[in-house]
Order: sequence, then structure tokens, then C-alpha cells
Amino acid sequence: MFEWTEEQRMIRDAVRQFVEAEIAPRRDEFEFGDTPPYEVLRKLYKTFGLDVMAREQFKRRLDRPDGGGGLLGGDGEEVDPKVRANTVAMPMIPIIELCRHSPGMVTALGVSVGLTAAAIMSKGTREQQERWALDLLTLDKIGAWAITEPNSGSDAFGSMLSTARRDGDEYILNGSKTFITNGPYADTVVFICKLDEGNPPDQRKILHFVLDSGMPGFDQSPPLRKMGLHSSPTGQLFLTDVRVGRDRLLGETEEVSGGGREDAKATFSIERSGVAAMALGMIDRCLELCVQYAKERVQFGQPIGEFQLVQEKLARMEVARLNVENLLFRYIEILAHGKQPTLAEASAMKLYSSHAAVEVTLDAVQLFGGNGYMSEFHVEQLARDAKVLEIYAGTNEIQMTHIAKDLLRR
Amino acid sequence: MNVVVCAKQIPDPAAPGELDPNTKTLKREGKLILDDSDAYGVEMGLQLADKAGGGEVTLVSMAPHDEVSGLRTALAMGAAKAILISDDALQGSDSLATAKVLAAAIKRAEPDLVLTATESTDGYTGLLPAQLAELLGWPSITFAKHIEVTDGKAKVQRQTEEGYDEVEAPLPAIVSVTAGVVEPRYPSFKGIMAAKNKPVDQVTVADLGLSADDVGWKGARQEITDVVPAEERKAGEIVEDEGDAHERIVQFLEQLKVI
Ligand SMILES: Cc1cc2nc3c(=O)[nH]c(=O)nc-3n(C[C@H](O)[C@H](O)[C@H](O)COP(=O)(O)OP(=O)(O)OC[C@H]3O[C@@H](n4cnc5c(N)ncnc54)[C@H](O)[C@@H]3O)c2cc1C
Ligand SMILES: Cc1cc2nc3c(=O)[nH]c(=O)nc-3n(C[C@H](O)[C@H](O)[C@H](O)COP(=O)(O)OP(=O)(O)OC[C@H]3O[C@@H](n4cnc5c(N)ncnc54)[C@H](O)[C@@H]3O)c2cc1C
Repeated sequence: MFEWTEEQRMIRDAVRQFVEAEIAPRRDEFEFGDTPPYEVLRKLYKTFGLDVMAREQFKRRLDRPDGGGGLLGGDGEEVDPKVRANTVAMPMIPIIELCRHSPGMVTALGVSVGLTAAAIMSKGTREQQERWALDLLTLDKIGAWAITEPNSGSDAFGSMLSTARRDGDEYILNGSKTFITNGPYADTVVFICKLDEGNPPDQRKILHFVLDSGMPGFDQSPPLRKMGLHSSPTGQLFLTDVRVGRDRLLGETEEVSGGGREDAKATFSIERSGVAAMALGMIDRCLELCVQYAKERVQFGQPIGEFQLVQEKLARMEVARLNVENLLFRYIEILAHGKQPTLAEASAMKLYSSHAAVEVTLDAVQLFGGNGYMSEFHVEQLARDAKVLEIYAGTNEIQMTHIAKDLLRR
Repeated sequence: MNVVVCAKQIPDPAAPGELDPNTKTLKREGKLILDDSDAYGVEMGLQLADKAGGGEVTLVSMAPHDEVSGLRTALAMGAAKAILISDDALQGSDSLATAKVLAAAIKRAEPDLVLTATESTDGYTGLLPAQLAELLGWPSITFAKHIEVTDGKAKVQRQTEEGYDEVEAPLPAIVSVTAGVVEPRYPSFKGIMAAKNKPVDQVTVADLGLSADDVGWKGARQEITDVVPAEERKAGEIVEDEGDAHERIVQFLEQLKVI
């Protein structure tokens, strides 16, 4: 059975100390102001040597004969499950710890490193990996990954209007994207569009291009106002006749398997487990704050923790915490043994954890009463932030359809 | 340059401490952590070794139950190895006995420089640094807020109430550092992963060539005769403002002769 190891606990303590010293005191700036999260995230990376580790890992990956490929130790390689478990578990610790205070930071970081760099690493040529991915993995540059459009969200490929048209050896890109994390500040953007060869839209190939900020015809909007997750800037992208060479087409080929519509299952499961880790951090923090508040707040001559209706809330929060942690542990175990979760398992994990986070954070607001509604007590921020976990990385309705599809296929 | 840093492992100050009613000493049964005060010495040692372009930091710690948790933290920061003295015979050791044990262990490491904190967080007698210097016969400089090592000498800015004194001593020397000396680093992830494989040399009192009679309850020159709760602070005086509060506060402060 998996348990956090001694070292993982040490890492947790060290990251917690950092977050409490560097991020928590600046909460007003990040969560109620317009300070972007990148400078403090870079400091986090430098402090813990994550930039150096990313550089070394990148080099090792390129040196492998398969040029990347398998996520964990490559195919056929005999890797000790304990080592694999650590490889999977370790990146979750900063996610959990950051989410105790600032889930937006994780979104900004996750999209830059987990989605944008990962897309370049899995689809790009070696030159493209060296040109763009390394700087993203070290956080020297910030990335955005753009698929969503004003008229295409859950049905990402079906209703996609963004296009690439061939023009000699080059392509002309057009389209608009919205809800793009890091969009306002990104240096490097992976733009997903359809190759328009005059054929019907549903038969067009899906291609990924890499754009640099400031290219002619490419505009990045200021951050959009939103319900929560303020420390993660979200924006729109507009492309008007952006001219790019083949060197910006990921993989430098139009021949993509499944017409580019098959998102690797591995990407799904990484994203969905990331949401579970985020949920765990938020639940953990709420529980900690609530237990303390229940002991301190006195009404009717006794601490409110003496009231059974308050106890019920605390108990349900603990159940949620245990369940989410166990889902994560199970995910770590599955990968540690060289397997992948099924689509249903990955989706169930995301569905349950995000819902648990919404319930727990709202219950925390309730337990704090009027104070819960005031920003000073932090839980209202977590409640606003939690809601997004049910919407992005595939809405919860889409997760349900994935679970059902997987069940009915058996 | 090789630096020994004394690293005390103490009960987590965040948890309420408890005294053993029989021995009147602090209970040290649970997990012990690195005394925060010693993190400064560790950081200073790492920086000095780094600046000297070679050498390493060795930790020396005396603690019950083979405790290594606090040492791992310092090893994760970058110390190369540790000497841990853990022995049932040490139970009841007072500060002089502790100094004898630490001095014997320090000698083994043959350092150019020894760093300690000015006082520990749990015991805070502040006696150890001078006792160590006496036992080792090395110069002692206390309350360092800045250290430089050049030409075989430690050059130290020694914190005083008004400012600082500049003092120097030939090496090997013992220097106790304040919390202002450097900002301790966070251990890197890699450092934490590597810490488990760094050598911790566990030794007993006998290994150090000391007699069990010199340490522990038998060797103690100090006896705790009584422990009483600190006097509760008196409730402050509340000044209700009826338009003249500022005058009454000024009067009150004048009475105290603070203004
Ligand atoms: C803070 C934030 C950050 C984001 N970051 C990015 C990013 O970096 N890059 C990016 O490309 N996108 C990003 N997104 C977009 C996100 O992925 C989409 O919002 C999400 O996929 C949902 O699409 P939509 O908003 O168009 O909703 P819609 O698809 O219009 O959904 C509306 C409602 O209909 C339901 N629905 C839709 N289809 C079905 C169905 N088949 N069955 C049942 N119900 C259905 C949905 O569940 C939802 O409740 C972000 C969104 C947010 C809020
Ligand atoms: C009655 C009594 C019983 C005791 N019983 C025990 C016992 O059962 N087991 C036990 O282990 N200790 C025991 N101690 C020892 C005690 O915990 C201290 O280590 C010792 O008294 C030093 O006192 P201090 O912490 O006030 O040192 P200070 O002089 O305040 O310490 C100054 C610096 O010296 C260094 N230093 C001090 N102690 C150590 C250490 N142990 N290891 C490494 N560096 C150190 C640190 O850098 C510290 O910041 C006992 C002490 C007394 C008085």
C-alpha cells in the first residue's frame, strides 16, 4: 500500500514553509489584485532546485534512444515500483501545498508545464523540444495551451473554427481562442486548429502550432474578470493571418494519427489526477481551518464544535479528505506498477474530487458563518476557486459521459 | 575548509512540551526536529566551505533514541555527513556533560572551525559554546553576526548592544552564531532525496573514550531542585478614552520612566 514516504513528508514541510512565507502573506496581491503568479513560482522553482532538476530530466529524456516517448522510465525498462511511485507522487506535493492557499498558482503552473511543455515534448521534433520545451519546463518562459473557442468548449474538435491554410511552404493561421490560462502573459503558445484544405470541417486534420508572443497578427487580451482563481490569469487570443513556417507545426508533419483527434489517454489521466491533488490541498486546508474554528468559536456558551450539526460537517469533510487521498494513492500505485488507469477510473477520480472540493469548501464557508463570507477568513476564496475544478479539464458532465462510455464498451 | 556544526535535535516547539515529574527534565520521547537556531550555523558552514573552494560540513549531535530526523533536515540542506551520539548512559546529562561528549566527537572530525548557535531553543542555557572551547582548548568567539575566514583566521563581527565588535581568532576556533548571520536555505528536493544516503556515524559514550561516570545522571554537576510555573502576567490597565486618554497614557509612561 502506498503511503507518503519520509522524504515526501520532508518535501511537504519545506514547501509548506515556503508557501506560508512567500505566498500566504501576499494573498491580497495575488487573489484580489493583478499581480501575476510567475515571479513567485520561479522563486519556488529556484528555491527547491526544480529548474535544475527539469533541465537534467530534459537532457536525460532527449538522450534516450526513443527520444522521449514513455512517461516513466521508458518502455521495457525495469523500474522499481518504489522509484516510479516517487516519480508520480513527488510532483503532487507542491500541487497540494500550493492549493492550500492559492489554487490559481497551480493552474498557471500546470498549464505552462503540464499541458504546454508536455504537448511539445510528446508531439514535437527534437529541434522543437529544444527550442521551446526546455525554457517552459524550467519556468524561464511561460506557456499557454489553446483549444477552447467562443463556440467550441466541450465539443472541442466538432465546433472548432480556427484554421490553418497552406501558402507555399508556409501556413496562414486564423481564429480566436478564449478562457486561455496564461493567455495574457504567455511567451509560448500552442495553438490548436484545423487544416483547411477545402474539405468538410469534420474531416479536417487537427494540427498544433507553436506561436511566440509578439508575432505579427497575434494578439493576447488582458486578463478576464472571473469568479475565482484570480492568481491564474485567463485571457483571449486573436489570430489574424499569422504567417508561420513548417518549423512551427508540431512534429513538422501533417500526418497525425487519428486525424489528430485522439488525445492520449495518458494526458487525460495526468490532468485528472492533477485535479484530484488540487482538491486534496483545498479540502485539507478547509478541514484544518474548520477544526480550529469549531474549537474556538463560542455560541450559546459553548464552542460550536459541540453542536452535532457542526460535527456532521467536520466528519463529512474528513470522509472527503480520506476518499480523495485514497483515489490519489490508488493512482500512484497503478502507475508505480507500470499500468495506466482506465478512462473510467481517471474520470471518476476527477469527478469525485472536484465535487468533494466544492462541497467541502462551501461547507467551510457555512461553518464559519458570517466570517466565512468575509475574505479575511480565506474559505470564501477556496470556495470560489473550487468551482472551476468541476468545469475545466473536461466538465463533470463530460466526465460522466466518459465513465458511462467506458462501462458500456465492456 | 572543514566545518563542524553542532546540531541540536529538540522536541517540536510548536507542540506543547512536557516535563518528566521525576527527573524534572523535558520529555524527549517523540520525534525530534532540528533546532531552528542551528539552521543558521548549518547555512553559515555551507557558505564558508563553499567560499573556501573545498571542504565540507559535518554535523555533530547528541540526542536520545538514535534520533536522526533533525539531522536529515540539515543533511538535506547540504551538510555532507553527521556524527550522532546516542546512548542510554547519557540520560540526565547536564550542559557540561553534553559539552564533554560533543567535544570528543568534534575532535574526531578534525575541523578547522566549529559553529554552534548562541543558545538552544529548548534548554537555552547558552553555556555550551564556551564549555566546548575550554574543553578543546580552542579560542571561542560568541554572538557572531558575520564571519569571514582568511589566512587561517576567523574574522568575526560580534553583536553587541550598541553595534558590533570586530574580533579575530586563529583556527581551529569555536564560533557561536546569532540568527542574523545568514538566511538559512530551504532544502532542495534533490537534497532531501539525497539526505537518506548520507553517512550518519552513530557512536556511544564508550566509542568516544569517555567513561559513563562522566556523563548522564552520574556525571551531572547540575541538579534541578524544583520546577515552578512562571508567575502569571498581571492583567494590563485599560485606559478608557474620555477625551484625555493620551494624557493619561503619557503620564503612565512617565511614571515607568520609559519616556
Ligand atoms: C479558469 C479557466 C481556465 C481555462 N483554461 C483553459 C486553457 O488553458 N486552455 C483551453 O483551451 N481551455 C481552457 N478553459 C476552457 C475549459 O476547458 C472549458 O470551459 C470547458 O471545456 C467547458 O467548455 P465550455 O466553457 O465551452 O462549456 P460548454 O461546453 O458550452 O458547456 C456548457 C454546459 O453544457 C454541458 N455539456 C456540454 N456538452 C455536454 C454533453 N455532451 N453532455 C452533457 N452536458 C454537456 C457542460 O457540462 C456544461 O455544463 C478554461 C476554463 C476556465 C473556466
Ligand atoms: C538535568 C538535565 C537532564 C538532561 N537530560 C538529557 C537527556 O536525557 N538526553 C539528552 O540528550 N540530553 C539531556 N540533557 C542535555 C540538554 O538537552 C542539553 O543538550 C545540554 O544541557 C545543553 O544545554 P542547552 O541546550 O541549554 O545548550 P546551549 O548552551 O543553550 O546550546 C548552545 C548551542 O550548543 C549546541 N548544542 C547544545 N546541545 C547540543 C546537543 N545535544 N547536540 C548538538 N549540539 C548541541 C547547539 O548549537 C546549541 O544551540 C539534559 C540536561 C539537563 C540539565
